[in-house]
Amino acid sequence: MSKSNASNGKTIRVAVVAAGVVSPLGFGLEETFVSLSVARDCVTPVTRFSVAQCRCKTAGQIPDDRLLNQERKGGRPERLHRASHMLICALREAVAQDPEFRPELAVIGTTSGGMSYGEDYYRTVRQHGNTRRTPTWIANYPAQKPAIDALEDCGISVPCQVIANACASGTNAIGHAFECVRSGRYERVLTGGYDAISELVFVGFDSLHASTPEKCRPFDRHRTGMVLGEGAGILALENLESARARGVPVLAEITGYGLSTDNFHLTQPDPSGSGPRQAMEQALKSAGLSAESVDYINAHGTATTFNDAAEGKAIAELFERVSVSSTKSMMGHSLGAAGAVEAIFCLLALQRQILPANINFRASDENVDLDIVANEPRPAHLRAVLSNSFGFGGANASIVMQKFEA
Amino acid sequence: MSLCIAGMGWVTPLGSGVNPVWRRLLQGDESAPESIEESPGHRSYSIFRVPDSALASLKPHPRLRRASAISRFATAAGLEALEDAGINLDPENAKKIALVFAVSNGGVIYTKRFYRDIVESGPQSASPLFFPETVFNAPASHLAAILGITGTTYTLVGDGAVGLLAVRMAEDLMANQELDHCLVVGAEEADWVLCDAYRKWRLLRVHPPIEPFSKTTRGTILSEGAGAIVLGREGPIRIERTHAGGYYRKRNETELVITQILSELAKNKIDIVISSANGTFIDKAESGAISAVIPRAQVYTEKPALGESVGAGGLWQIIAGAKSLIAAELPPLLHLTAEIPLHVSATRAVIPGSQRAVVISCGLNQQVAGICLAATP
Repeated sequence: MSKSNASNGKTIRVAVVAAGVVSPLGFGLEETFVSLSVARDCVTPVTRFSVAQCRCKTAGQIPDDRLLNQERKGGRPERLHRASHMLICALREAVAQDPEFRPELAVIGTTSGGMSYGEDYYRTVRQHGNTRRTPTWIANYPAQKPAIDALEDCGISVPCQVIANACASGTNAIGHAFECVRSGRYERVLTGGYDAISELVFVGFDSLHASTPEKCRPFDRHRTGMVLGEGAGILALENLESARARGVPVLAEITGYGLSTDNFHLTQPDPSGSGPRQAMEQALKSAGLSAESVDYINAHGTATTFNDAAEGKAIAELFERVSVSSTKSMMGHSLGAAGAVEAIFCLLALQRQILPANINFRASDENVDLDIVANEPRPAHLRAVLSNSFGFGGANASIVMQKFEA
Repeated sequence: MSLCIAGMGWVTPLGSGVNPVWRRLLQGDESAPESIEESPGHRSYSIFRVPDSALASLKPHPRLRRASAISRFATAAGLEALEDAGINLDPENAKKIALVFAVSNGGVIYTKRFYRDIVESGPQSASPLFFPETVFNAPASHLAAILGITGTTYTLVGDGAVGLLAVRMAEDLMANQELDHCLVVGAEEADWVLCDAYRKWRLLRVHPPIEPFSKTTRGTILSEGAGAIVLGREGPIRIERTHAGGYYRKRNETELVITQILSELAKNKIDIVISSANGTFIDKAESGAISAVIPRAQVYTEKPALGESVGAGGLWQIIAGAKSLIAAELPPLLHLTAEIPLHVSATRAVIPGSQRAVVISCGLNQQVAGICLAATP
């Protein structure tokens, strides 16, 4: 996407003016930062469905007792899917920070929306059953429904584009929203991602042997796979001039976005790392930054053998020496939410000047030469950070976020 | 920014190919229903399936070996649209084309099969071959791999309005002058479990026909297939205006939202409206909005002939709108049972001098979007 508004040739800067998050690390930015600052391991035994026959038994989960007991608005929140509740939490936090933010568009990422309602429905159908909850499951199952629920909850009536680019969805959504503002076609765009854990997806990754029965150890020599997570993240993006005119605080700037499609295989990256590399190179070019200018990379880092090898190779080839961590080690892989949640981790890293940790790390992989932020967060001087998300179907996306300097 | 439709591709229960399907619609043909039953004791439903012959010309490709029906539909439509636009993709120009894929229910056949195995035989029997095909962007991934697209690929998920939302997204993407074209594909596959869900949602009738704009809404019939358009800087049909869409909170708000969108689209004289009326509650809402905003336009919906294909539906409507402007005529509106305050024709209708067509898609799950097409002078 062109860096300039075509009408006057002036570069449009894109500000993050509000953010909200819910994840296994906590409800809201403050709780999340506390968890990041102590490198909390939030992966726990799965409780939502039986995993007795699965290799993997753990995930990063958001406790229902808090999630489902948020202040209620309207007459039907009990019908909503957990994913809706997550996105509502995140959006409410963002709206509370900037109640005057009036988006023209919402671009949100997900992979599976209200999948567990589809599971409930199918189990009932198989038993020739029909419960009073069946219509609720059907109406709230569609992947885009939580996005509409959250907008509705916060009284925001805007068009909504829901991107489903597998595990890159959240970063793709933020990147596309960024480009919508930077192109000058929109002043304000709401963006983010969401996903709630479900049995089908959990078993799916288990069947591929992508998930691990052990700890999630991204980039470790002895890594054995991923664990799943869940959550939601929201970012309010605005033309910087417009944000200044409104006098709202600028939390950070998004300055670059790159994406690529890796056609190597439906579920595996090209081992050369060409897909991730193309996305990161494009993001740097879009930001007008050199690789040396990037102080930290929040890696996709699922801890699968193939992903970490390809991503690690691409990072090592492109960047001289940069601090890298995968925060999925703390909360699991939240799929469509991951890009949004991790963008918020980057935001907090820039604001509080720390490098989030890559926990459970024991030994470097001799084939992946990276400066891993191992096990403990580090204080740092951060100006520019990059966040990666890669997904099935060869979807690769990277964004660059920078500390706001007026 | 001026964008045009440079090429189109169509895979439907009436066959494949834009011109053959259009001819059949003009003749008043309608899809043949197929009865499907999940297992003994479960209710049977009617769907409109894509006949095997419609994919006969699709060349084998390793990516399609195990791919679900939706991926095959998407590929066939996408390839036809590119051929129609005269685009031969090579590594160089493949960098200058984006792919936006619109979907609603996605790979439901493999999703159901994968989950059925979990439920019936336990997680250990779930096939790792099926799981990747359950992901919404699997069809887009296959299509990108077949075409050699390595840059921008998005999958957009939504209800029946998602096809038009995808066109709007493509328009946003094409603000990047480095892109020459954007291939927009919408696809869907039909399955018993979807029919059952739509019936329990009180939106499906068990047997055809779909009766559009009927006083009593008897429900729709699900179908499958794909539609594709290539957006470029030149072409016979111009995208005069897009509306980014909206959503209705309750069904009684639907007409108001459609009215707002139509009002913003109808800045000039509109000759044709391609409606998404499908035998459900949206028919009344669209009828009310169209009669209020564009009362003189000739109204058509292809759904009685082709069925409700949800994720593909919006693209099918756009193709019908584009063909109606090019041909200056509309197919007969089938199974009209009521007197309605709209200009409709139960026979093939010539519309001389038609310049603009509005396409309005109202989904069953709250989303609404519209675009205005114009004949290129």
